[in-house]
Amino acid sequence: MIQGDRVERTVEPSDGTVVRAVLTGDIEQYAILVRRYKDRYARYASRMLGSVDAAEDAVQDALIRAYDRLAQCREPENFAGWFFLILRNRCFAERRRDRRSDGLDQARELTAPEVSHAALERAEQVRSLEQALLQLTPEQREVFLLKHVEELSYDEIAARVSTGVPALKMRMHRAYDRLRELLGETR
Amino acid sequence: MSQEFDPRERQTLGEREVSDLPPSLLAEVVAARRPVSLSSQVEARVMAAVRRRAASPRYRAWHWFTAPSVPPWALLAAAAAVVLALVLLRPASVGSPGAASPLAAAAGPESVYVRFILVAPNARQVALAGTFNSWDPAAAPLVRAGAEGTWTVTVALPVGQHQYSFIVDGRRWVPDPAAPAVDDGFGRRNSVVSVSAAQGRVL
Repeated sequence: MIQGDRVERTVEPSDGTVVRAVLTGDIEQYAILVRRYKDRYARYASRMLGSVDAAEDAVQDALIRAYDRLAQCREPENFAGWFFLILRNRCFAERRRDRRSDGLDQARELTAPEVSHAALERAEQVRSLEQALLQLTPEQREVFLLKHVEELSYDEIAARVSTGVPALKMRMHRAYDRLRELLGETR
Repeated sequence: MSQEFDPRERQTLGEREVSDLPPSLLAEVVAARRPVSLSSQVEARVMAAVRRRAASPRYRAWHWFTAPSVPPWALLAAAAAVVLALVLLRPASVGSPGAASPLAAAAGPESVYVRFILVAPNARQVALAGTFNSWDPAAAPLVRAGAEGTWTVTVALPVGQHQYSFIVDGRRWVPDPAAPAVDDGFGRRNSVVSVSAAQGRVL
């Protein structure tokens, strides 16, 4: 006698279902969203911030911030897009903070007697694409990553970051110019 | 490519322009596409933060305050409608709730008692959740009154507008059929009750 295998399928709740459950008090359901989105944008964050450790902090903060603001998520079924914007803001803020501290470091270097050595070392460090990308503005860096690493089209990027395609192409153009400038002499 | 940015966004591949890059950079771009996985501790840390927040009275108050609110047009509609709930200033005048109809909270000076009724003959349990109890399904259970399947609860509500819903058998959210309802922004309907300080008045 052959018995048919029992096939049990578990249907994963949609993002909207989970968001509504969390908002009505079932906070443990939020773990579903954490598991679902912890790694999805990890690569974006790590390339934006330059390290996996920084990405981990950013994703973690963004997930907590998303929970804090969950009632403001107007389209629960599009939690992914909403969460991405929170993470993106977090990455931009961190990049701007880093650039400010870089500026301070640079100012200190300029006052130091070994300024020429520091400048030389700095130039020598910019050898990899990843390091060069860190020298771009967050906006330029982001469009480069979304286009070439995440392989999104300009239309997809435009929808994701609420910016027009012409502006994105201009950012990319400037990103290329800057990369050429940073990497030109070492390639 | 093994890691999806978002599967739904991957349908229009073909616009790649990596060929514009210098060959020396192409290898690095391809390397940058390798998947990144974060520590499993992220989930534990996020959920620990979520639980801390949920347990904080200050956070609960803030969450209540920022919860989706009633749009102005709905408030006007609610004010013009008749609600089945009975608004009474004195608990003694509540329609014989007796010992079987628990008062979910004591009424303060700015509160009035409101009796909620739902006819649900097949329900095993019914609860009342709303903005007044942080949508806590356990805060205000209804009790069955008689054999007709009428469930009631009386709660003390502050003067003002409140959104609420019945929860049948712990999982089905049912708006009050006798009250006006508004979209909660998430595809569900919340009932609205407007409580005034005027004795016995229902807005």
